[in-house]
Amino acid sequence: MAYQKSSELNGLHNGQVIKEYLNGFDKKSIEPKKAELTSKQQIKDSDDVCKRSAIEDAYTTVLRELGENVDREGLLRTPLRAAKAMQFFTKGYQETVEDILNDAIFNENHNEMVIVKNIEMFSLCEHHLVPFFGKVHIGYLPNNKVVGLSKLARIVEIFSRRLQVQERLTKQIATAISEALEPAGVAVVIEAAHMCMVMRGVQKMNSKTVTSSVLGLFQEDPKTREEFLILTKNN
Amino acid sequence: MNLVTEFHYNNDFNELSLEPKKTTSQQRKQHESSRKEAEDESRLPVLEAAYTTILRGLGEDTDRQGLLKTPLRAAKAMQFLTKGYHEDVYDVLNDAIFDEDHDEIVIVKDIDMFSLCEHHLVPFFGRVHIGYLPNKKVVGLSKLARIVEIYSRRLQVQERLTKQIAMAISEALQPAGVAVVIEAAHMCMVMRGVQKMNSRTVTSCMLGVFREDPKTREEFLCLTQNA
Repeated sequence: MAYQKSSELNGLHNGQVIKEYLNGFDKKSIEPKKAELTSKQQIKDSDDVCKRSAIEDAYTTVLRELGENVDREGLLRTPLRAAKAMQFFTKGYQETVEDILNDAIFNENHNEMVIVKNIEMFSLCEHHLVPFFGKVHIGYLPNNKVVGLSKLARIVEIFSRRLQVQERLTKQIATAISEALEPAGVAVVIEAAHMCMVMRGVQKMNSKTVTSSVLGLFQEDPKTREEFLILTKNN
Repeated sequence: MNLVTEFHYNNDFNELSLEPKKTTSQQRKQHESSRKEAEDESRLPVLEAAYTTILRGLGEDTDRQGLLKTPLRAAKAMQFLTKGYHEDVYDVLNDAIFDEDHDEIVIVKDIDMFSLCEHHLVPFFGRVHIGYLPNKKVVGLSKLARIVEIYSRRLQVQERLTKQIAMAISEALQPAGVAVVIEAAHMCMVMRGVQKMNSRTVTSCMLGVFREDPKTREEFLCLTQNA
């Protein structure tokens, strides 16, 4: 409980923090930080709302031009819902790796491979604005620093909730992990189905696209890479 | 127009019954939305401008290389995904209705279906199983899949889609019964909102003998069950 409170006060000057911690918690000192956090969230929310109305109008135009009757019951609030959905699908633009890592990097005397596989991924193709989704497998060789496992999945979320190209997404995930942890090697493999190929265009139902990005030891040593690929194979 | 009438008017059928409709071809065309295939090309610039606004509103840089032609591609993609609006069942059937002395169940199953949720404009997709009991008239099998295409390439709600497919087949063939089952995954539930990856929505529409006789319905459901 005390630890939680002191991390909330991280933003204050060092001396102030210790004073608060030792003297018990004066509600007034926690309020400004909370207020700051709430106001940041409020600014972000009101920002979202402003942009949303422009997006809503655009969606109303789209519905009309597609020949639909925008006044029928099922479509009345569709521009709003579609705008909110699009903002959710691109929320990764507002997130940074530093924020979500949340200092969940630990010193651990471990330098064997760590793999988190079958992480579901949903993204939007930047060429057609149609979803593509699939699985991400991440492996890294720690250099005495390990990361909280869910943070790998959160890094996938940040970069996938954007307008993306699968190749770039793979590389961004690998680079982000390598910058944050400085491991001996990182490997990321993504296997996804692209709705732009399945629902339209060439219309091939069962096709999947596989991309990979290997850095460090995974790139240099074929045996390490092979171990990762075998361990992430789904039968 | 009250809400119920409007719902029927906009959704291509006026009565939920198996009686053959006495609509003329012109009346049917009136029911379609205001989308004509020939006009698609001319509507593209407005759609493109709307998509550019959307991209900018989401905070993207519309001048970067990957996004330069995205408004045009997205506009064309949306038009393709809603092309069902300018298709008509009678055009697609192409007179492929044949007199055949057959009155046993005919099933076409595992028809892949892709549609757009009308609430969020996000895809939902799955499989359609169609069965019908011919009344001396059988239809070309691919036409059943084409009927699915017409109604699914629209802004839809799964319940309505199921009903429209069943009604279209029953109007065209006047069979003894029609059964349609759709099992689909909704990206609006998987990619956002409640985010349940493995959930599937199943809807069905049973008309005629399939509705009245439980044994017939059971036969259809058994034959379309995938092990």
